[in-house]
Amino acid sequence: MNGYNFAYLDEQTKRMIRRGLLKAVAIPGYQVPFGGREMPMPYGWGTGGMQLTASILGEDDVLKVIDQGADDTTNAVSIRAFFERVAGVETTTATAEADVIQTRHRIPETPLSADQILVFQVPIPEPLRFIEPSEEETRVMHALEEYGVMHVKLYEDIARHGHIATTYAYPVKVDGRYVTDPSPIPKFDNPKLHMSEALMLFGAGREKRLYAIPPHTRVESLDFEDHPFEIQAWDEPCALCGARDSFLDEVITDDVGGRMFVCSDTDYCQRRQEEVA
Amino acid sequence: MRWQGFSDPVQDGQRHFRRVLAAMAEPGTLHDAAATAVPEDAAIGPALWATLLSLCDLDTRLWIAPGLEAGGLADAVTFHTGCRKVATPDGADFALVTPATLVDPAPVFAEGSDAYPDRSTTLLVVLDALAEGGPWRLTGPGIPDTRGLDVGEATALMTRLAANRARFPQGLDAILGCGDCLAAIPRSTRLAGPVSATPEEDRTCTSQ
Repeated sequence: MNGYNFAYLDEQTKRMIRRGLLKAVAIPGYQVPFGGREMPMPYGWGTGGMQLTASILGEDDVLKVIDQGADDTTNAVSIRAFFERVAGVETTTATAEADVIQTRHRIPETPLSADQILVFQVPIPEPLRFIEPSEEETRVMHALEEYGVMHVKLYEDIARHGHIATTYAYPVKVDGRYVTDPSPIPKFDNPKLHMSEALMLFGAGREKRLYAIPPHTRVESLDFEDHPFEIQAWDEPCALCGARDSFLDEVITDDVGGRMFVCSDTDYCQRRQEEVA
Repeated sequence: MRWQGFSDPVQDGQRHFRRVLAAMAEPGTLHDAAATAVPEDAAIGPALWATLLSLCDLDTRLWIAPGLEAGGLADAVTFHTGCRKVATPDGADFALVTPATLVDPAPVFAEGSDAYPDRSTTLLVVLDALAEGGPWRLTGPGIPDTRGLDVGEATALMTRLAANRARFPQGLDAILGCGDCLAAIPRSTRLAGPVSATPEEDRTCTSQ
């Protein structure tokens, strides 16, 4: 570990984040301010998620890191290597074998279990930010539960496009109180937030906010009676494993319009291919 | 020092935090925390002592209810964590209390504001009894259906925590300790008591 404290952060910072996490779990969906530290990577690469992971990780934990569902993309590989180096923990790509899963913008397809913790990297934790740029104002809006403007935004989608055009970072209401940004996961993943078995923690490094959705918590995606919430669907199955129940990425295969749709969750896709083989 | 710190502060602190986190995420579940020994004449058990060790430091303010300093706790917690002790509970991040502390007239704790509900006191409650499946019924986040909890003679505590619901998101979170055993009741939990002991307004709060 070459002179670093276990998991990079010093103990006092970890305790500060841990106290914040307990508050976040006690007030589901409320964004707790915390003293974000500078991490050895730029903002926007998952510094918030890394600080949470560093604060909860123990030497016995097995860590999995995914980026848009994939274990083998730059962000996932570098964060996994970082914790291998500064914490010496075991890592895995298998969803079911991980104790802590840090994720950028996806929830694994394999259902999570009660002893797992999912840590989300969040770029902009405030769901109202694009509507109201002032932090002071959005804080009052949360305090007063003044969320009508969020429905206005979704309604404008319907007026313009005929349907709700928000496809990722789709706002949710947690336990009937706080409107919360689920991080830029596709809305396909929103139903997995509802009554999840696993604890879900969210960390935003640049904005210095953390929040949580405890297990078995009601999470509703905002919608209208005549325009109910819907998730994405595809006409064809995954080209590699044939799955019809997973989130598919479009992959361009040539320059004459060839394309294929494959699972964004690489671990899920590989496991299914192995089962078939 | 008869009060022992963690033998491995980094790993033991992390392990204990994860117990507290699990207890808070799934209110009413019991967690075994026999990590650290406490003196025989101490008023608090190993579970709450470990909680103090893992969460308190130079940045936290602690209020200790009268009667709980037994065995030199106040000096020990300063020695091991460096946390500041405050004379009034409303300025404390953590308050070490018993159910009797909360009997009227109860001390005033920080409950946060609607804008900053996190600026509240977390109660560390010393209990004589703590068991799953008791007369108190817990519902809400972290609880699949409903969960029973037995906290012994602690009506003052549970009445206080049941009142959280009406003031949400303001409120008090409680970490309960009985010997080696740990549980938590965050402010998000709806509490319903033994039917006879529950005031009417509490039951309506929990029926939503």
